[in-house]
Amino acid sequence: MDRNQFPGLVLGSMKHLNMVIILYLAGVTAYSLNGYIYENSAMDFLIKAKQISVVPWKLPMLAVGLYACLLLLLSIHCKKNISFLGKTVAELGVAFFLSYVMNFSYTGIVLLIIADTMSYFSDMKRRLLLVASVCIVYLLLDYDLLSVRYPIISIEVCWEYYQRDIQSLLLGIRNVLSSLNTLAFIIYAIVLILAEVKEKERVLGLNERLHAANQELKEVNRKLEEYARESEKAAETRERNRLAREIHDTLGHSLTGIITGIDACVMLVDIAPEATREQLKAIANVARQGVKDVRRSVKALRPDALETLDLKHALIQMMEETKRSTGVDVQYEIRTGLKHLDRDEEDVVYRIVQESITNAIRHGKADRVQVRIDRSFNMLKIHLKDNGVGCSNIQKGFGLHHMEERLSMLHGSLSYHGDDGFVVDAEIPIRWGTEEESDD
Amino acid sequence: MMEQRTEKKYIIRGGACVLLLFILWMIVSDTYKKLPWRHEDVIRIGVFSDSYWEVQNGYSYQILDDAIAQFEEEHPDVRIEYVSGIIKSDYSEWLSEEIMKGTAPDVFFVPGEHFNDFAEAGALKDLTRLIENDEEFLPEKYYASAYEYGAYEGIQYALPYECAPKLMFVNKSILTAEGIGLPAKGWTWEDFYLICQKVTRDTDGNGTVDQFGTVGYTWEDAFDSNGVCLFNEKGTECYLTDKKAGTAISFMDRMEGLNNGYSVTSKEFALGNVAFQPMLFSEYRAYKSYPLSIKKYAGFEWDCLTMPAGPDGENISRLDTLTIAMSASTVHTRQAWEFMKFLTGDERIQSEIFDYSEGVSVLKEVVESEKTRKFFRESTDTGDALSLQVLSEAVERAVVIPGFHDYDEAVAEVDRAVRTILESSSNISMETIIQNRKVNTYLKSKQ
Repeated sequence: MDRNQFPGLVLGSMKHLNMVIILYLAGVTAYSLNGYIYENSAMDFLIKAKQISVVPWKLPMLAVGLYACLLLLLSIHCKKNISFLGKTVAELGVAFFLSYVMNFSYTGIVLLIIADTMSYFSDMKRRLLLVASVCIVYLLLDYDLLSVRYPIISIEVCWEYYQRDIQSLLLGIRNVLSSLNTLAFIIYAIVLILAEVKEKERVLGLNERLHAANQELKEVNRKLEEYARESEKAAETRERNRLAREIHDTLGHSLTGIITGIDACVMLVDIAPEATREQLKAIANVARQGVKDVRRSVKALRPDALETLDLKHALIQMMEETKRSTGVDVQYEIRTGLKHLDRDEEDVVYRIVQESITNAIRHGKADRVQVRIDRSFNMLKIHLKDNGVGCSNIQKGFGLHHMEERLSMLHGSLSYHGDDGFVVDAEIPIRWGTEEESDD
Repeated sequence: MMEQRTEKKYIIRGGACVLLLFILWMIVSDTYKKLPWRHEDVIRIGVFSDSYWEVQNGYSYQILDDAIAQFEEEHPDVRIEYVSGIIKSDYSEWLSEEIMKGTAPDVFFVPGEHFNDFAEAGALKDLTRLIENDEEFLPEKYYASAYEYGAYEGIQYALPYECAPKLMFVNKSILTAEGIGLPAKGWTWEDFYLICQKVTRDTDGNGTVDQFGTVGYTWEDAFDSNGVCLFNEKGTECYLTDKKAGTAISFMDRMEGLNNGYSVTSKEFALGNVAFQPMLFSEYRAYKSYPLSIKKYAGFEWDCLTMPAGPDGENISRLDTLTIAMSASTVHTRQAWEFMKFLTGDERIQSEIFDYSEGVSVLKEVVESEKTRKFFRESTDTGDALSLQVLSEAVERAVVIPGFHDYDEAVAEVDRAVRTILESSSNISMETIIQNRKVNTYLKSKQ
């Protein structure tokens, strides 16, 4: 903050100093010109000066007016190059007239313009070019140089009106003020350059920090990718385990039953062929059940719909399809967003809804099913109700067992009753909360 | 939004700056005086109360008043004013003060001695474009020499108003007493020298010379009548070693030898003891006519001649001219120009110069008119020696003083050089070379 204000402060004081110098020169000169007029030495002055001076009363007015113009121009900040060039030329024009009014006895105003110009460009090359050209103007505005070619009254001639010692004093004051201005300019230039060097250092520091942060980010990214790979592997393992469990639970169970039955048949076939036939029938039933279970098991694998659609749309598609193929009136109502659910959660929700609808149609013979999914806090609730025959004595068939098993994997719960149609209520604590947090 | 507001602010500042510059320009260039509510066509004239020719005649403003009356009649929308009562000796100072104060008169008379100073300072308006654009204006109406008097470094800054050539006053009584006839029209240096030699003598026999040939005949008169071109156009080089200049210096040396070192004053001429004295035509006019004819030069018969011609020159001399110029800062250029043209170029006004002033009109037509001829014959008793033709020729062919920067200083330097040459005992041509070099060094130092 400080380092940005300091050059501005020096520039401001330069502006004040120039005002003082201009007022001083204009005042002293106007007074001396007036003196020539009222002491009847106008003709002598005219012969000496070989030039008509500015009318005394106009001199301070012109000086102040032109200086005000210059300050106005300096206060304008241009963005475009072309307008900036125009502004600088206008400033130099005003400075030229101001110097002209001062009989070119003071040209330090140009230093003010140089100082202002310098603050514009951080591009060193362009700044140098511009400052150099303004400097050339500054050098050319010299009285001794200009008076060779153009008639100009030297301020010393004007001030000859004063007594010699007073004149020396006045000229001395002018020189001191002029030197002060030059000094202020030098200080300004130094301060500006220092401020810039500091600024550059700051930018360099920031760059370094940015670089370090970038490196860190790369590292984290790499770790994340690794984690994702591991996580995928874990999912694969889980799925394999599930399949194994499924096979063991269904096919294993059936095959065990069949083997046991057939062993019995082998023993019975000669003793009681009738009983054997009955037994074989029962075995066939078990085998059929096994096939059914395998089918169900295969179905339990991730449904296609979920691979292509998000959960909500997959559910809707599934229910609509059921409606079309079976003619059962499936009414559904999904009151919560179902995004950000994990794959296993999605699977469970989908399966529960699918299984329950299948149950309602197959076992309940229902022709209307109502499905409602909503959420309170982080508990996803699934409610299914049909108008089927219901079931007073519920046998935990495979379907319900399967549902419970799936839910228990997610720490969820299942309740059902068959008093009026069949009602299934499932509650799943979902991981949305943690999911959202990890989004940030 | 924010950016738009800043941009608007800057545009307002730029506009304020332009407006301020415009107002300043209006004030500095005096354009504000042209604003409708300030505008009035009043032309101020700068003029002095007494005659330019240092002769009090009581008619100082007569010609100007007549000119103003006639001009205002022809241009009813213009009013002309002047400040009266400024005497000639204060006039240049008054004019300078007015110029410095920024209240310079629109049109003012410029005394010949300060014409170069005012022109150099830029107080006078360059008339070139006005002259070029005005088809009615004919520079050839004026005597060329008088017209050129208004030029400085080749630029016309003023128009001639009245002029007076330098003429040779001759004491006819002395010539008659010595039995010498009045010199003829084309008289030469040799005639001049012989007469001077003859009249320079001790008349009462007391041992000291008490009658002299000439007083006030300067090297400048000799240079002018011998066709010497003293400086180059820009005043950077002096031609004192020129053959014609050498002849003139030798002549001056011979003339000085006649008086045996006695320094004659113009008082001697007034007392009737000197045969010749160069004077301006205006003095001839003033003292030739009643009532001044009895005040000065009353004890002898006198008349005017042209200056004697040198071997390489003619009977010519220089012209003193009163010019009128326009202020460089006037806002009434057109009206001021019309008035200047009227005052200097109108025959009615110019012919009044013979009535109310002692100079010569700058218009050839006026000088050579029948009216002037008649007036001249009546007002001067004899007029035999100086015919109007002679006068007109003297004006017409008068030497034009070159207008360059620091001309007066350069002449003063040459004057010092010539004096040194004449006073030195060594060889004249040798001394001339030395002095010429000195003058040239001086001229170079002034560049």
